[in-house]
Amino acid sequence: MSKKQKISLSEEELVRALRNHEKIAVEALYDMYSPSLYGVISRIVTNTPLAEDVLQETFVKIWHSFSTYSAEKGRLFTWMVNIARNLAIDKIRSKDFKNQNKNQEIENNVTFIDQYKSTAYKPELIGVKDLVQALKPEQKSIIDLVYFKGYTHVEAADELGIPLGTIKTRLRMGIQALRKYFN
Amino acid sequence: MKVEDIQAYIKSGILELYVLGDVTPGEQRQVEKMASKYPEIKAELDSIARSMELYAKENEIEPSENLRGRVLGSLLTNFGDDRNFTAAPHHEEIETEEDEEEDNTDQEDNIADLPARKEDNFYKYAFAASFTLLIASTIALVSIYGKLQDSNNQLVAMQQDKQHFASRVNLMNKALTVFRDTSYKLIHLKGTTKTPSSLVTVAFSSGQKKVVIDMANMKMPENDKEHQYQLWALVGGKPVNLGVFDAARDTVTDIKEMRPIAFADAFAVTLEPRGGSVNPTMDQMMVLGKY
Repeated sequence: MSKKQKISLSEEELVRALRNHEKIAVEALYDMYSPSLYGVISRIVTNTPLAEDVLQETFVKIWHSFSTYSAEKGRLFTWMVNIARNLAIDKIRSKDFKNQNKNQEIENNVTFIDQYKSTAYKPELIGVKDLVQALKPEQKSIIDLVYFKGYTHVEAADELGIPLGTIKTRLRMGIQALRKYFN
Repeated sequence: MKVEDIQAYIKSGILELYVLGDVTPGEQRQVEKMASKYPEIKAELDSIARSMELYAKENEIEPSENLRGRVLGSLLTNFGDDRNFTAAPHHEEIETEEDEEEDNTDQEDNIADLPARKEDNFYKYAFAASFTLLIASTIALVSIYGKLQDSNNQLVAMQQDKQHFASRVNLMNKALTVFRDTSYKLIHLKGTTKTPSSLVTVAFSSGQKKVVIDMANMKMPENDKEHQYQLWALVGGKPVNLGVFDAARDTVTDIKEMRPIAFADAFAVTLEPRGGSVNPTMDQMMVLGKY
């Protein structure tokens, strides 16, 4: 993995290059966003080959429907992560996945844990420890369920056995904490 | 909308849910409309989105290196097509993309339909062709079988002819041999007073002890079924039986070999009951010739 080859552009440059169908835009898009998108996808689709398929489908869909994105609607990543999350959820709800998952459940869980570990102990993520302190566990669990696992806040309330109002408050408080942390 | 209302909208948590992707399409449009209308909302939304983006980055997982080539490959394959439309204005580009999608579906339709139709026709035509061929073959077979039968019949007839001619040639050879052989002497037995016009030619080889009648050149009244002609050799005044023959000329035998005898003074033919007699019936003597 040679990082020097990776291309990085500002979001404005990237969006303009994508609109102009410049070749460099495609590579920059992948290099800038594939790890973040793959982080979301692989937490929902824990089988690696399937998760890789979803990542590919995600970029194909981003590319084909890019004309429907406009900067007025918000940040590019917000738009893209929604596409990735929806495709990942579609995948685990598909018949194929359900059949396959019966056989591979245990294996997948091991992979999932490994991935989590490798993420948690990434040496370049020095800030993670601080982030864990900034974000309370009860806020993190809700944000992770909705953002990474694709739950609706209603489903998260059911899952955690917490009233809907409390869920909404914790979500907002958690995100406020993240904003504070990243600023 | 008043400032308080804007703040209330921000605090409602809808912006967070929007960024988390947990809104209905209606809510989504509403948030986007509000954001474009109120800079405070836009700024808030942007801040939330930026934070979540960074949070996602903190939780990023690097996909395997070979996936990069695969994904870029699939994108740049499409990219090559799109490149042709770079010069077109943006809004037309969208149309072009849609057109392309239509084209793609058309192409897919063609790809799906054409071989299927082709296949259908192929089997239809193949069946028709096979069936026609079968009928044609059957007709040809029957006609050829008929001709073969004819040929076989002709062949059998020709073989019979050939056999006939072969035996005939054989006999004629035999006859020729007899007449060529210098040891044979020809004796013409002339008709008696009973049948003056009768004539029988006998070839006799004393050395080979052979007696042959020339059947082809025989002039004798036809004998009936109860009677046969009998050839006698007179040796020292005594008659010796040399066998019987019929005067009715059959086509197969030109010459007829009689019983062998070494010496004879004369030959005579009498009409005897069928099968011949031990002694000749002298009043029935037809021809007589001296050696």
